[in-house]
Amino acid sequence: MLEGKLVNLRPLERDDLDREFQWVNDTDVTRYLGMRYPVSKAQEEQWLNSRPANDFGNTALAIETKDGVHIGNIGLHEGQPENRKASLGIMIGDKDYWSNGYGTDAIVTLLRFAFHEMNMNRVWLHVYAFNERAIACYKKCGFVIEGTLRENSYREGRYIDAITMGILRAEFESLHAKGESDA
Amino acid sequence: MLEGRLVRLRALEPGDLEACYRWMNDREVTHFLAMTYPMSYADEQGYIERVSSSDYTKGVSLAIETKDGSVHIGNISLENPHAEHRTAAFGIAIGEKDYWSNGYGTDAIVTFLSFGFQEMNLNRVSLHVFEFNERAQACYKKCGFQVEGRLRENYYAEGRYWDVIVMGILRDEFDALHSKTG
Amino acid sequence: MLEGKLVRLRAIEPEDRARAAAWLSDPEVTRYLTYRYPSSDGDWMAGPPGPNGYANGVWLSIDTHAGEHIGAVNLHRVHYEDRKAALGIVVGAKSYWGKGFGGDAVLTLARFAFDEMNLNRVWLTVVEDHAAAIACYKRGGFQEEARLRQEVYRDGRFLDFVQMGILRREFEALISKGGSDA
Repeated sequence: MLEGKLVNLRPLERDDLDREFQWVNDTDVTRYLGMRYPVSKAQEEQWLNSRPANDFGNTALAIETKDGVHIGNIGLHEGQPENRKASLGIMIGDKDYWSNGYGTDAIVTLLRFAFHEMNMNRVWLHVYAFNERAIACYKKCGFVIEGTLRENSYREGRYIDAITMGILRAEFESLHAKGESDA
Repeated sequence: MLEGRLVRLRALEPGDLEACYRWMNDREVTHFLAMTYPMSYADEQGYIERVSSSDYTKGVSLAIETKDGSVHIGNISLENPHAEHRTAAFGIAIGEKDYWSNGYGTDAIVTFLSFGFQEMNLNRVSLHVFEFNERAQACYKKCGFQVEGRLRENYYAEGRYWDVIVMGILRDEFDALHSKTG
Repeated sequence: MLEGKLVRLRAIEPEDRARAAAWLSDPEVTRYLTYRYPSSDGDWMAGPPGPNGYANGVWLSIDTHAGEHIGAVNLHRVHYEDRKAALGIVVGAKSYWGKGFGGDAVLTLARFAFDEMNLNRVWLTVVEDHAAAIACYKRGGFQEEARLRQEVYRDGRFLDFVQMGILRREFEALISKGGSDA
């Protein structure tokens, strides 16, 4: 369990299935993610049950409020040990918890884990250019815009740009001094 | 989950087997589908397992569910999406006969075509329909499909040959007909 | 076989691997590649796990018009819906560096990507200090889109990568203007 200020990050469990299933089929949620096709409960269950244990290459965690409400997932993917980098992905599936600082706290908590426990040097992500709310949140966490990947994705009938963002360990350290409060 | 006005389209689940099996063995339903042989329970189960996850390479088959009451009334599919040509073959079956001719099929088709063009990035969707299925042809036309040709005596059933009508819709045509948002 | 002005791109054959292995053991060649561990058999250039296409990517050997095998080029991470792919290239025969062969191979493969595979975007990443390659890609119409800070660890330090991309309409404009001979 990783402890943030507003949330805890815990392993995904089999009984998270109903929520997961609902979120990955909610287009309000998936329009911001690289997900298109409806997912069956059977398929989601298989994904949940056959996930390998979290490791350097792939870590997926449930985001829980301090009251124990599971509101979304967060993960580090494509971990490369030599380059000591990984990509970050987050989904707040429970829309009641959007825009209240939970995502920011989850990200900062996971970044601290990535840099301090996993010994990462760089964490990066791609975000659709129209997702301004997310971009603002990532900036608040310390991510820097590194470029615009033009027409990188096709969604909702048009090509859209992706913003590529990254944060380096040194930047995280200077923003979030150890033990100090965050974001 | 794809939301239409009357229906939503969701992934097929193992629990859908019962209904699908019933439809695929109802001659009134299969009369309009290219299905000659009775399907066993195991055949149908294999089919559902095969199509229960979707991507571009496998194609997309979804359950049509009414928004009012969540009744699973049929299935809809885009098969054999072609990577380079951006084409796919369309198919639909409304198995619950009570829901025929009430706009559910049309709504499902428009919702699904919108997904095909706007999310899968297809350029053309085509279908085959039997000449005697005039109800379906009218519905497809309403959705924007155009008749492109007639495959003469391309299907045999009930002791005789039937022509098959080829219909197609292009992305530009769909966009012109249906506002992008829905 | 794809014909360029200076090169031909053809499918990879088993006998290409011995040459590939020699190139990949040459630090002058590998210093610009994201290739790390020594390998005896040129596996990096073994080609796709199946036929060339969307599913496996497109992996081709670069021959001069005289028939000399000088390198390899590929499109990988081909995305069906987004219609994009990543481009990779190695010219292993060092006597052909700086003479336009790599640029011609890139252009020839980009033309194939847009005109035959129906892609919309081709992108690549290149290590920050590989000025010759960056200049070559720019001549071929690629635009710098991002600087990925400390992307890769090589020779005891982190290096930035430059990400570049070209869109179909940009490529077409470039070609219709009389083309780049990059």
